[in-house]
Amino acid sequence: MALLQISEPGQTAAPHERKHGIGIDLGTTNSLVATVRSGTAEPLADTEGEVILPSVVHYGESGEVLVGRKAMALVSSKPFDTLQSVKRFMGRGRADVGSDGYRFVESEGGMLSFETAAGAVSPVQASAEILRVLALRGEQTLGSNIDGVVITVPAYFDEAQRQATKDAATLAGLKVLRLLSEPTAAAVAYGLDSGDPGLVAVYDLGGGTFDISILQLQKGVFEVLATGGDSALGGDDLDRVIVEWALPQHGIEAPDAGLYRTCLNLAREAKEFLSEHTEVEVLIPGQPTLTLARQEFEGMIQALVLRTLRACRRALRDARVEASDIDSVILVGGTTRVPLVRASVAELFGREPLSSINPDTVVAVGAAAQADVLVGNKPDGELLLLDVIPLSLGLETMGGLMEAIIPRNTTIPIAKTQEFTTYKDGQTAMAIHVLQGERELIADCRSLARFELQGIPPMVAGAARIQVRFQVDADGLLSVSAREETTGTESRITVKPSYGLSDTDIADMVRASWEHAEDDMQARQMAEQQMAANQLLEQLQAALDADAEALLSEQERAELEAEMQALAVLRQSGTRQKLKTAVAALGRSSEVFAARRMDASIKQALIGVSVDTLDSDGGLG
Amino acid sequence: MDLSQPYFSLFELPASYAVDTQQLTARYRELQKQLHPDRFASASAQEQRLAVQYSGFVNEAYTTLRHPLRRALYLLSLAGMDAKAVAGQHIDGGFLMQQMELREKLESFHDLVDPDTVMEHLLAEIEADWRELEGQLAQHLTANEIDAAATAAVKMQYLDKLRAEAEALESELLER
Repeated sequence: MALLQISEPGQTAAPHERKHGIGIDLGTTNSLVATVRSGTAEPLADTEGEVILPSVVHYGESGEVLVGRKAMALVSSKPFDTLQSVKRFMGRGRADVGSDGYRFVESEGGMLSFETAAGAVSPVQASAEILRVLALRGEQTLGSNIDGVVITVPAYFDEAQRQATKDAATLAGLKVLRLLSEPTAAAVAYGLDSGDPGLVAVYDLGGGTFDISILQLQKGVFEVLATGGDSALGGDDLDRVIVEWALPQHGIEAPDAGLYRTCLNLAREAKEFLSEHTEVEVLIPGQPTLTLARQEFEGMIQALVLRTLRACRRALRDARVEASDIDSVILVGGTTRVPLVRASVAELFGREPLSSINPDTVVAVGAAAQADVLVGNKPDGELLLLDVIPLSLGLETMGGLMEAIIPRNTTIPIAKTQEFTTYKDGQTAMAIHVLQGERELIADCRSLARFELQGIPPMVAGAARIQVRFQVDADGLLSVSAREETTGTESRITVKPSYGLSDTDIADMVRASWEHAEDDMQARQMAEQQMAANQLLEQLQAALDADAEALLSEQERAELEAEMQALAVLRQSGTRQKLKTAVAALGRSSEVFAARRMDASIKQALIGVSVDTLDSDGGLG
Repeated sequence: MDLSQPYFSLFELPASYAVDTQQLTARYRELQKQLHPDRFASASAQEQRLAVQYSGFVNEAYTTLRHPLRRALYLLSLAGMDAKAVAGQHIDGGFLMQQMELREKLESFHDLVDPDTVMEHLLAEIEADWRELEGQLAQHLTANEIDAAATAAVKMQYLDKLRAEAEALESELLER
């Protein structure tokens, strides 16, 4: 029976069966989920018809967790147990953030946690709750399991913040197809490929983060030329400006946490009202009414808006284009409804920005479209997205200086190697300190990780040759390895930012989050391994059908097929551990075949280039 | 894919300083369309890993060949001269004097009445010098005069740094 099962690719899943991918916009203030149905990407509503899920999580004394509007209702009565804007705290340490009306505890490794009635809760855990609710909404709407998810992150999110986001997804049990930059997702949603070629600027001012991205679209490739921003600047800051204007007028200097959080939410409403009206009444409970005119408000937020414009100019410079070269400007994020923001952006770029797609939902819609491609429904999807890292990655060198290995705005994925040497005679170890940022002094950069290369043979200073290799994947996540060339001593780590979770932490949390008994857990792990085996067999069979004749010798093919048969048998009868080992072994055995297939497609690609597909932006350099 | 092959052969270009950027960009896009990890997001872990490696190699090769200075240094490394040896090249005093003068101009910028015009002249001067050095570099490389080519490359490094500083200053002026 097993024989039949592997020779028929349709056994486990029909090759053209539709897979389900969802896109999630995990926002500071609001989050939402979208998916492609009947060819159109659209946001999904909950059972009450609401598309937007407020990014608020409440932790009760008895351990119950509320997400969204129900949690929102508890903000003023239970401020410490009701977490808002957790995105601001992702991948951050105590020193990075203000109090914001929370009680913080610092856990091991400097990671920040909120002290709640249900114990310490990290921003990663709270984000995972939001992701769970949205993924469940996706499953219920689609009536099936989710095969993969694209989660958007601000383009300006650094390594630590991206890693924290991915950790949250892992914790929520989701398969992440890609972390996608929010501005890029928005550009995809606008489907600007019709105006090819073109330069697009995406101005994204959300609840807590600001991004500006300059993209170039040409021949089906959407390339981010430069990105800039501030991962701690957003609508929240405008709200705070209003609170700081109102409280002193009532003679309140030190509001308690409940009042402060209430004020912030009132301020947000006032700000939103001012986008449609010329003045607003601000009524803080128990205090006389205050009136705020739009003009006065604009005066108060001018400096913040100017900060965003400065970032726009730097991004233009980095992209080596002028504001007047831009063909389309896209506005994303609820805060771009503020008239002063719209007007300032229009003035900078000398053109009216596009906002025909709701700025609250555009990112999720773009993410859903990309999820549909990545999950395998459109394997030859027309559009290819080439993204960049927003901040330089480098190492600490002598004198506490940062040496950039991969400069900002480098297209990812990227791998780069740089050689270093010892500075003392007989030095046998070298500390590698990985940093991210644009400043020269390491104190001004973010410390991502430290590790040590040991076992360097004692030599005179400067004789050892230590190759440090940086590799950034398509999610913008970094791994670093170091190798002493003369002896081959090697040390390798995947960077886990200083404020991140270790893999064991995540595994522990995932385990703890299962409320089931031990055998349920084993059953689940077995099911996961069976799924992995199925996937591998399916993929490999499809690859063999397509390319075995051209790329493998008879013997190579026979060996692979024998191993596949063995795995197919184990899939039914083996133990979890055996199955796992066999999946890994088949993976390794098929590596040569995978490499040959990719080489074949490269050859194909190069043969496919003809003169008429060449671009017009060239010339001799 | 051979990750040790010279970047030029990846794009099927001759190893020279003058590069057909149209062909470079066209091949780059074709390669990424085939190799980018997005094309393998639902493929096996092995293929995903290879895609990250291959695509990363293509990006590094493309970035190196696209930027004139990095391309120059790369050509020198192919000729057996590493970055350290390049940096150790002897530079004539006349060039260094001229660099100091340009640098002094930059430093006095904040006191000028009409900084914009002066900046424009300065950038034009840097550009002209750069073009001349590019010519020298290409010639020496063709003639296989590696030391002389390296000297030109070092001078280009000086100019590159100066230009970056001038541009930073220019944007600082814009922000005022």
